[in-house]
Parts: sequence; structure tokens; C-alpha cells
Amino acid sequence: MTELLTNILSPSWLAYAIAAAIQCALLLVVALASAAVFIWLERKVSARIQDRLGPTRVGGRFGWLQPPADGLKLLCKEDIIPAAADRLLFRVAPYISFCSAFCVFLALPFANGWVALRLDVGVFFILAVAGIEVFGVILGGYASGSKWSLYGAMREAAQVVSYEVPLALCVVVPVLLTGSMDLVEIGNRQAGWFTNWYVLHDPFTFVTFWVYATCAVASTNRAPFDLAEAESELVAGFLTEYSGFRWVIFFMAEYASMFVVSGLAAVLFLGGWNGPIPIAGLLHLGSDPDTATGFIANLLGLGNFLIKTVAGVTCVIWLRWTLPRLRIDQVMTTCLKYCVPLASAMLAGAVLWTYLCPGGLIARARHSLTIAAEQQHAPTQERK
Amino acid sequence: MFSERVQPENVEFDVHTDEMLINMGPQHPSTHGVLRLVLRTDGEIVTEVTPHIGYLHRCVEKIGENLTPRQFLPYTDRLDYLAGMNMNLGWALTVEKLLGLKVSEKTRHLRVIVAELSRIASHLVAACCYGLDLGSFTPFMWAFRERELILNLFEDLCGTRLTYSYITVGGVTDDLPAGWLQKCATFLDQFEPVIDEFHAVLTSNAVFIRRTAGIGVLSPTMALDYGCTGPVLRGSGVDWDLRRDGEPFCTEMYEDYTYQVIAETDGKYPQDHPYPPVPPAARLGDCWHRFYVRMLEVVQSAFLVRQAMEKYAQAGGKVDEPFPLKKKLPKGEAYLETEAPKGQMGFMIISDGSPVPYRVRVRSSSFCNLSVTSELCRGVLVADVPAIVGSLDLVLGEIDR
Amino acid sequence: MEAINWHGFFFLFFAIVACAFAMAVVVADNIVRMACYLVVSLGAVAGLYFLAQAEFLGAVQLMVYVGGTMVLLVFGVMLTARGPLASMRTGGGQWIMAAIAGGALLAMLLQAAFSVSDWAAPKTIQEQAAVEGSPSARLGLGLMGVRVDQLEQPNLMLRRGMSGHLLAFEIISVHLVVVLVGAAYLARAKRRLDHKQAKDDQRP
Repeated sequence: MTELLTNILSPSWLAYAIAAAIQCALLLVVALASAAVFIWLERKVSARIQDRLGPTRVGGRFGWLQPPADGLKLLCKEDIIPAAADRLLFRVAPYISFCSAFCVFLALPFANGWVALRLDVGVFFILAVAGIEVFGVILGGYASGSKWSLYGAMREAAQVVSYEVPLALCVVVPVLLTGSMDLVEIGNRQAGWFTNWYVLHDPFTFVTFWVYATCAVASTNRAPFDLAEAESELVAGFLTEYSGFRWVIFFMAEYASMFVVSGLAAVLFLGGWNGPIPIAGLLHLGSDPDTATGFIANLLGLGNFLIKTVAGVTCVIWLRWTLPRLRIDQVMTTCLKYCVPLASAMLAGAVLWTYLCPGGLIARARHSLTIAAEQQHAPTQERK
Repeated sequence: MFSERVQPENVEFDVHTDEMLINMGPQHPSTHGVLRLVLRTDGEIVTEVTPHIGYLHRCVEKIGENLTPRQFLPYTDRLDYLAGMNMNLGWALTVEKLLGLKVSEKTRHLRVIVAELSRIASHLVAACCYGLDLGSFTPFMWAFRERELILNLFEDLCGTRLTYSYITVGGVTDDLPAGWLQKCATFLDQFEPVIDEFHAVLTSNAVFIRRTAGIGVLSPTMALDYGCTGPVLRGSGVDWDLRRDGEPFCTEMYEDYTYQVIAETDGKYPQDHPYPPVPPAARLGDCWHRFYVRMLEVVQSAFLVRQAMEKYAQAGGKVDEPFPLKKKLPKGEAYLETEAPKGQMGFMIISDGSPVPYRVRVRSSSFCNLSVTSELCRGVLVADVPAIVGSLDLVLGEIDR
Repeated sequence: MEAINWHGFFFLFFAIVACAFAMAVVVADNIVRMACYLVVSLGAVAGLYFLAQAEFLGAVQLMVYVGGTMVLLVFGVMLTARGPLASMRTGGGQWIMAAIAGGALLAMLLQAAFSVSDWAAPKTIQEQAAVEGSPSARLGLGLMGVRVDQLEQPNLMLRRGMSGHLLAFEIISVHLVVVLVGAAYLARAKRRLDHKQAKDDQRP
């Protein structure tokens, strides 16, 4: 795109600027659209679980225009800042959360090679940037100038920061299996049949996937770990004083980070853009995205990725509307007494597994049988 | 957070946090009405809870001095508005005790049907709003779906869905409409399997158990000292139910009905139905047991309604007409406590011979249940306060009157 | 000229943000705002790392400084910013001392920076030496004890003494464990039973 624009516009700095702006806008549209879709999905799924229908009027029978309508309504609301609030920090806080959730989209691959920024240290970058989201929450809680908000912010910060540890430990396991932190590389390593997916690679990675799921739900503050937004206890926690557009930004940040965390699970454990059956491989479509067939293969991959991500988000939504909320000390107990030891043990187990049977159990068994067979033949040959 | 050996008063931290005074309510999503709780917290631990009431005071008892008993009936609806029929029943029985009136068998069975359906409705709200307090949104919607069906039945019966004024002094306002018993039977047939869904999402749910088991343990002596009644008392293991153990005027209504009083006796709950098992983490008198008692009472009430429907159909005669509107009351006083869903509701009427009473007094069950809050909430975490207050099943309408 | 335009622009942007917000930290009154300005400053430094294609280091800066240290700092500041500590007012004498100390440090840093011959003239991107292999892989190997900058050392005697950064890595890891254990110990709950018993014993 940059070359195209450079040819059209004479000052190349303008071309670069516009190209960059367009790419940023595209990524922003993806983030916002995913947030809107997930808000609609949440309302529909929660309604069905609760034996209701959900939005059915705005935009036809399925109410798919409800999130934009709600967004429009919230935009038109009065801008209220509490008198005791720190005005600058109050205004800035939602944007910090959203920016950090959005920046993660930079390094998340949607298909083979289709990533905004192909980073060598993709996974590490995502973890680092996702950890900044808690800042927005802390500032929002503090700057609201209310005890309830401060309480909620403290609890959320403690929770998110604690769960970053087992989350990182779980994420290290697929990195270990691949040998690289590059997410595209991790995804490509799981190409082929679904038995190549890391979740089915060895029992340790299988358990790690579930620990990752727990930690991911906790780090995005979804029920059963949503005490920061606990409506029945602290009104709305750190969100109490936020209304209108600022609240929308916080919520977009939450749904964007749900997408990210689910997408990361898909890439790290569930094969990413590789489907259960390697259709593109069977049809010999090729993997070079610049060719037409490769592009189609990548489109199929994108579809796979989105299906897995949406399934993950649906499970998170399902969990929210089924389980009650855990208390803060129970949340911390789960993290420190269950998730961290389990994740560490799984990491150690995965290390052992890759050391002892590098090609998988079957390859290892075959290898051992071959060696045993050779040893049996060798003495007879020597005797000869 | 604290093991059972160490009491919160005996723990000290090297790093001290500030003590905060937090106001929960009167406008708060989880204080079950306009209740104001002032919490004194040290970090996350509550050191003291002071309830402030009176936000819903409507001078009901004073109004009772200006109206005849039948005119006063709608005010009793608005005491515990979630179980209006039981409030009406309490008042009606009290005035009938003063008058020395006895209702016919058909009226008696009709009153049982309606009172027990109201008990089911009230317990559904209690149990599932409790789930809502703890973050479980779904059973709340399911409970209200079932409650809507009960309210439809009541709407067919007396025209209103919340403030019935149906059971009145001397009888009921009107007999059952045609086909009502069939509708009621249909409702019960579809309702009884649904109770298992509630058990799956709440009673046996691991997260719910973690939030309620061992929290807010109320000993039987403390419950009796503070005057707690109803599921709060039975949840602590005290086997006391006015339908079986009360005054003859009250127990006559439930004569020759088969039902179990839900309280843990000899370490076990009644085994007449396949109830979900008691988890090992739950201690007798904690929030989980109070919740469990309510869920089991729903099953018992459904069973009672079925029996009452049969007895009503078999009973001969007519349903009694209500007592005349402005007839003079005999001099004297009468006090009667009945087993309402939330506890023992007591009504007192002192008459000086005129059609209008001299004094009306309401003994509210939730008022006494509320009084135990400050004891139970000492040393718990802030998140446990809604858990404890929700398990007491308070309705401010009857606390403030 | 056009090739370095955006690179230079972003370098200037991040550098100015880092310096400006660092100044804001010094000048601000409200202590919580001070902590927030420091966050922005350190974030801009991370941006500089990304610009220099040291992505790993940039991510580490974000994770450790912004996500870890600053969260802790903001937490501590928020919990303790009561009364006299809520706003910091520095007197004139403190400004002069700070100016002297800061100015001396700045002079030293500038002198050191300008004295490196390689850094004297601005380089274009194409002239920078290409990095062989991914930087994170080389870093990882270095931490495990492999000297990636001198992989072929013909002299066997010298090779035995080359341990990369393994020792530093181990020392820092142990140090961090000690810090964690110390923090857990400090924040533990102690029983006050002995005081109560002592009081009971004293009563007649």
C-alpha cells in the first residue's frame, strides 16, 4: 500500500503518513467491530441462558444493530465528572485501558503472515502490553474520588497483577514446544491434522490449556472473577462514576481484551488458523499469501481463527452467566495456591516431555523399538 | 482467609491499613430494599456493621387505629410485599381469634393452597435474589419465570399480582374461579422438575458453596436470644415451626396435613425427597444452611398445595363470606403469631368495643432477623456482608412498617 | 532525506515526551500525578527501544517498569497519599541542590555520549549493521552462558572462562526470590495471642 500511495502522492512523507493512518484505522475497526459483535453475542447468549430472547427489534429479528444503537445513546449522555475527582486522570484513564487492549492487536496474527507487526517476540510483547491495561483501572478508580471506586480498583489491580504470573507461565509452554516467541511461527508449527495442535501434544500442555483458560478469564475480569465490577457489592466498583462515552471505552477495552485472550489461546493451543482437517494442504493451495490460491488458503485460515476465537469468547460468556462470583481472597487463593503451582508443574512436565520424547510418544516408542531391534540383530551379526 | 483457630481480634499485621467507614445503601443493589448498612472496615475486613432502618416507615400501626380490620387488610399486603397472602392470613387469623370466629373446612383448605403458593413465591425470590447478590444472574431470571406463573394464578383468583387482600377476616373475598385448580396442578407439575435446575446452579454449585458455607454461622442460642425465626432459626438446627408447634388457632389450619418441618435433626435433614446432599464445608447455622432450608421448604409447600387442592375438592359446603365491614368488635385483645415465609409474623389487636381497634401492633420477623446482622458480620470480609444479609431474607416493608 | 524523516520524527517525539514528562515529574505537585507522569516517561523510553528495533528490550521495559514497578509505585502512592504527603511542595533551596546534582549528571552524560566516535555522525538505517539471527534468541543464549558475540574462539584456554551472562542471571534470580520471600514475610499475619495471654496473666 505504501508503494501505491508513494506513486500517487508526490511528497513521500505524506504517503507514509496516510498509509500508516489507514493501517491504524483498519486495525481499530477490527478491534471496535469485534467489541460490538461480542457485546451483541453476550446479550443474546445471556438471554438464552436466562430463558429470554435478548435484543430482537433493533436491526431486524436478531437485533444486531443494538450495540451501535446503545453506543449512540451513550455518546449523547451528559458528561458528568464528580466534584471530588481528579479531572485529568479521570478523563485519561479509560483511554489507557483501551489503548493497551488495542495495542495487543498489533502483534496478534489472524492467519499465516497476516499480522500487523510480525514481531520476533510476539508473545512477550502481548503479555507486556496487556499488563498495562490495569493502569487504566487503577487510575479510573482513584481518580473517581469515591471510596467505592478505590476499593474496586484495588481489588482489580491485585487480581490482574497476580494472575499475570500463571498466565505467563502457561504461555511459556507453547513457546517451549515451538522454540520461538513468534506467534506466526507457533501457529505454523501446528499445521496439519488437529492432532498437531498443542493442546493434544502432551498431557502437560492439555492441563496448561485449562489453567491458561482460568487465568485468562481472571485477567480480563470476567465472572467468576469480576469483583471489580461487582454490581451487587460495590455498585460498579471502579466503574461507578463513569457514564456515557467513557464507560463505553472501558467496556470496549474489556471486550477487546476478551477477543485478544481468546485469540491468543487459539494460536497458542488450538492450532490458530489451521483447521482440524488440512483442507488447504489437501487441495494443494499453497501457503504463499501473495498468490491467489495462497490467499484463499489464508482466508480459510482466517475463518478457522475467527471460529475458534468466537467459540472461546462464547465459553467465557457462558461461564459468566452460570457461576456466582468469587471473593477476593478466594480469587487470590486460586491464583497463588492452585494456578501458579499447577502452571509451574506443567512447565516442568512439558520440559521433561520435550527432552524425553521430542517427536511425540509414538515417535519415541518407535525409536526405542528400533534401537531394541538393532541391538538384537547386532549380537547375532557379530557372532556371524 | 482466617483459619478457625485464630479469631480476627487476635491477628495483627505489621503493615497497617486505614480504617474506613463505608455506607452501603439505602440505594444499593444488594441490600434488599431501603436498608442502610454502615460498615466499619479495616482494609477488607469488617469490624462493625450498623443497620439503619426507617426509610420505608409508613405509620401502618397508627393507621390501623383509624380503620376497621377489613379496611386495614390492604396495609398488611404491603408489609412483606413478596408474600402478601401470608400477611393477610396472619391478620385475618388474629382478628378471627379476637372475634372467636371459625372458618369452614373449605375456606381452611383454600387458605392453605393460597398461603403455601405465596410461600413458594417468596422463597423463590429470596433464594434467587440471594444468588443475584453473589453474582449468579441466571437463577434469578428462572425464579421470576416461575414466580410469574404463580402470580398469573393469583391474578386469575383476585385480580392483583402483588397486593392481594384476598384472605380476609371471616373467610376469603371470593371463591376459586372455574378451572383454577387445573391450572394450579399444571403449574405444580411443571415446577417440581425445575427445582432441580436451581439446585444445580446454586445449592450444589462449588462456587456458591465456597461463598456461603461456613459464613455467618448463627448458633441456636444466639438465634433464640435475638428472636430469629423461620428459616433463619431452622437453618441453625432448631426444629420449630408454628404450623406444627404454634398456638391451636394457628395449627388448626394445618390439621391432618402431611409435611416435614425442614430443620436438621440428629445431623440429618428430612429424607422424604431426593434432596441434594449437604457439602462437607457447610456448618450448621451458616448461610448455606439457611438457603438450603428455604429450597427444601419450597418442595414441602408444593406438596402441601397438592394435598390442599385434593381436600378442597373433596370438602363440602361453601367458602365463607367475609366479616361485615363496620361491625363492632368485642372488647379485648388478641395476639397471634403465624409462620410466614420469612419467620414468625405476629399481629396484635386491642379493641375497646368500637368497630375500629384501639391499637394494632405488628411483630415483624425480619426485624428480629436483622438484629443479628451486627453479630454475624463481625470479622468477615466486605464481600461476605451481602452474603449474610441476603441469607437472612429481609424485607424492609415489614421491618419499617 | 526522506528515508530518515519518519524515523527521526518518531525519535524526536519519543525523546521529547520522555524528557518533558520527566520534567513534569519533578515539577508536579500532586504525588499521584507525579507517578502517572513517570509512567508516561518510561513508556516513551520503551517506544525508543522499539524504534531501535530492540523489541525484546522494549517489551521488557513495558512489562517490568510500566507493568510492574510503576503499578507498585502507584499503588503505594495511592494508599499513602494522605495529609501532608498528598502534595509535595519543594522549597527554593531544594531546587538549587537538585539543579546542581542534575546538571552535573547531565553534563557527564553528554560528555560521555559525544566522546564515542561511532555515535558522532548520524547514520542512516541502511548503514546500521544487520543483526544476525533474532535478537531475543541471542539474548536467551547469552543468559544461558553462551558467548554469542564470540562464538568461534580458537583458543581453548580462553573459551573455558567464557560464561556469558549466566552468573549474573543466577544471582539476580536468587535475589528476586529473596525479595519475594521477604515481602511475604513482612506482610504476614501474626497472632497476637501471646500479648493477650500476657495481659490475662497479669490480672489478679
